[in-house]
Amino acid sequence: MSTRRWPRYFILPLGLLVLWQLWGMTLPARSRAPVPLDVLASAVDLIASGRLPMALLQSLGRVGLGFLVAGSIALVLGLLMGFFRPVERNLDPIIESFRPVAPIALLPLAILWLGTGTPAAVFIVAYAAFFPMIVNTIAGVKGVERRLVQAAQTLGVPQLTILRTVVLPAALPSIFIGVRLAMGLAWMSIIAAELAVGSKGGGGGSGGVGEMMFVFYAYYIELDSIVVCMIAVGLVALAIDHGLRWLQRWLMPWAEQYR
Amino acid sequence: MARAADSGAPPGRQWRQSTVLLYLRSLLALAIIWSLIALWVGNHVILPQPTSVAYELFRLIASGEMLVHAAVSLWRLALSYALAALIGIPLGLLMGLWPWASDLLDPVVEILRPISGIAWIPLALFIFGIGNELPIFIITYVALFPFLLNTMAGVRATDRTLVRAARTMGVDQRTIVRHVMIPSALPQILTGARIAGGAAWMSLVAAELIGAPSGLGFAIEWYRQLLMTPKVIAVIVVISLLGYLTDRGLRWLQQRLTPWSTGIGANP
Amino acid sequence: MSQPVPSGPKLRLDGVRKTFTVPRSGATVVAVETADLTIEAGEFLTIVGPSGCGKSTILNMLAGLELPTEGTVAMDGRTITGPAAERGMVFQDYALFPWKTVFENVEFGLRYGPHGKGLSTAERRRRVARCVELVGLGGSEQKYPHELSGGMRQRCGIARLVANEPDVLLMDEPFAALDAQTRIILQEELLRIWGETGNRAERRTVVFITHAIDEAVFLSDRVVVMSAHPGRIIEVLDVGLPRPRTDATRTRPEFQALSQAIWNLIRDEVYRAATAAGSAGGARD
Repeated sequence: MSTRRWPRYFILPLGLLVLWQLWGMTLPARSRAPVPLDVLASAVDLIASGRLPMALLQSLGRVGLGFLVAGSIALVLGLLMGFFRPVERNLDPIIESFRPVAPIALLPLAILWLGTGTPAAVFIVAYAAFFPMIVNTIAGVKGVERRLVQAAQTLGVPQLTILRTVVLPAALPSIFIGVRLAMGLAWMSIIAAELAVGSKGGGGGSGGVGEMMFVFYAYYIELDSIVVCMIAVGLVALAIDHGLRWLQRWLMPWAEQYR
Repeated sequence: MARAADSGAPPGRQWRQSTVLLYLRSLLALAIIWSLIALWVGNHVILPQPTSVAYELFRLIASGEMLVHAAVSLWRLALSYALAALIGIPLGLLMGLWPWASDLLDPVVEILRPISGIAWIPLALFIFGIGNELPIFIITYVALFPFLLNTMAGVRATDRTLVRAARTMGVDQRTIVRHVMIPSALPQILTGARIAGGAAWMSLVAAELIGAPSGLGFAIEWYRQLLMTPKVIAVIVVISLLGYLTDRGLRWLQQRLTPWSTGIGANP
Repeated sequence: MSQPVPSGPKLRLDGVRKTFTVPRSGATVVAVETADLTIEAGEFLTIVGPSGCGKSTILNMLAGLELPTEGTVAMDGRTITGPAAERGMVFQDYALFPWKTVFENVEFGLRYGPHGKGLSTAERRRRVARCVELVGLGGSEQKYPHELSGGMRQRCGIARLVANEPDVLLMDEPFAALDAQTRIILQEELLRIWGETGNRAERRTVVFITHAIDEAVFLSDRVVVMSAHPGRIIEVLDVGLPRPRTDATRTRPEFQALSQAIWNLIRDEVYRAATAAGSAGGARD
């Protein structure tokens, strides 16, 4: 059945692409509007020159660093808050009052405190990644079946060992939902942070794919290159999510029901 | 966990009171820590005292300046949110009900979806320039996907038995769509609405910060350039409060419209 | 009530009362009303009763997962204050660790708990392998719980319990979620694992919860009948059927008579509970 259906999948994307190209050809030669073939040429150029891969790597490095910082704090704090009620009761109000703060809104403060370089961008990423991680870790720990904890207790296993051998693995699927949400948000925030740093930082040259896009817009008006960057940003987002899914399957072969 | 179960929670009202108290206590502790750090930093441009933020917040509200910023942002938000719902829900229904529609549209959706709204900002800056159109475009784009995908998934997840039950009562297809499939998809559509609301707020701030001459997002950046840090933080507080209230409102709506649904859904 | 006294009881409930506070309203519900009970070493004791009679609460208190509001629960004369490896439990919903294979589940108590202390890895593996064989799960060691049928999952739960070598085996409606055929097979196998055909002195103490009367009669030496609202022990009956028990046991007139007697006790209780339901509220089962 899928073999009969597959041609349909290509109708609209290809049709739009052709229309876009035809529309581009009716424009005057000096027009800056992006056209598929020009975008392709520009993609080849950006990849071959190594500029796009470098920028992507820089952005990814920042995401990784910010995520690592936020993730490890959120994991430890989340486990404690989920397992020990007094910890949760005291910390929950603070977390809940910071949660609605949009990460991008903190960018001006981050620039003020940390300048226009990598630290500010990492700060935004870490802030963005922290909340989905901690919320899902707490939910995961609280959602652990009581029976499993009891089963370990009746086998005589001590409390802290239970936290490690029962609660953590049982909460892992939920923690992973947090990881995936956090990575998606982190990747989105890094683009925003780099864009804004590029536009408001007065050309500090902080690098990253977001800044690269802004430079193409503001200084060169290379719209083809901007479209290349957009596609690259989308592809990286997809790759991150698929990589995490793969990791999840590899780490949790038992968790059929969570997929 | 096992211990908490035996501790015997106190009755309802008492519990609520103690939560409020705990909340205030935690926030007070936070304010004191903030204040001490600010004293230690000793530079009110970098970190002002919480009291001066509160004062500026009061002044911004009293002078009506905050109202102007907030009104502009909320108006943009409401317009784009409505646009996203008007496009996303019907498209989602279409794709959920008819396989050919989803075969056609799904590839385009899947190609566009990973490209975050924020990545559209440079191109949109070129197309629309700095003004109202840019944030409206970005927010609509961002809010569109949660509406569309959740509507589609909700319609597809309709219990086949319910549809068959309706069919055995001799009901025609239109009525089934209207009275069986849409109501059964409603909880998920509303979950989509909430996710869309959160995403819309986030991108509103980003879009206004970079590409709008007014609004709350613009205001934070404007005051930063004037080095009025207390006002920057005051605007951030208002943005967060409005974001929180929007989510509360949508949650309330969700509970009002679908009281039979228990799932409140994940909050990204 | 029968109260034989050789060598001192294994388990003892002394004036045990258990109440719960309902979270929202703050009302108090009595789950177990003053229960006295002694359980001998090597005895197979079953508690039956309608849902809400507090039989699971009693088992949880024996396990140490819950503590009595009044009175004491003791093992070998020492008051039970929390869960411990001497009192292992099998759960109705299996409570297997989904991220561990059958082998790892059975190994869990020995690996992380006190009863595996002093065992070398090889000894531990051997003991686990023996228990997996004992319950008939040989060949499924590397499977995850979600790949097993309900009956196989409960075999795994029993192996996990037996591997840890507890003194007392607590079983909370272990076969309630299984189909009728699987149930009958597992009942016979449980008796075999318990050591029905072997030396009486080597048998462990079993406390078994069920709502199925035939199961209670088939398995046990004594049956405790409980009533609901509030949960109370109303009768303790000696079964007295010869062991080993087989299919033929189920057709014996004593078996039928005893089952009928227990049903009469519970049926009366169900009627009484129905008429009192308006005022009593609900106790937890």
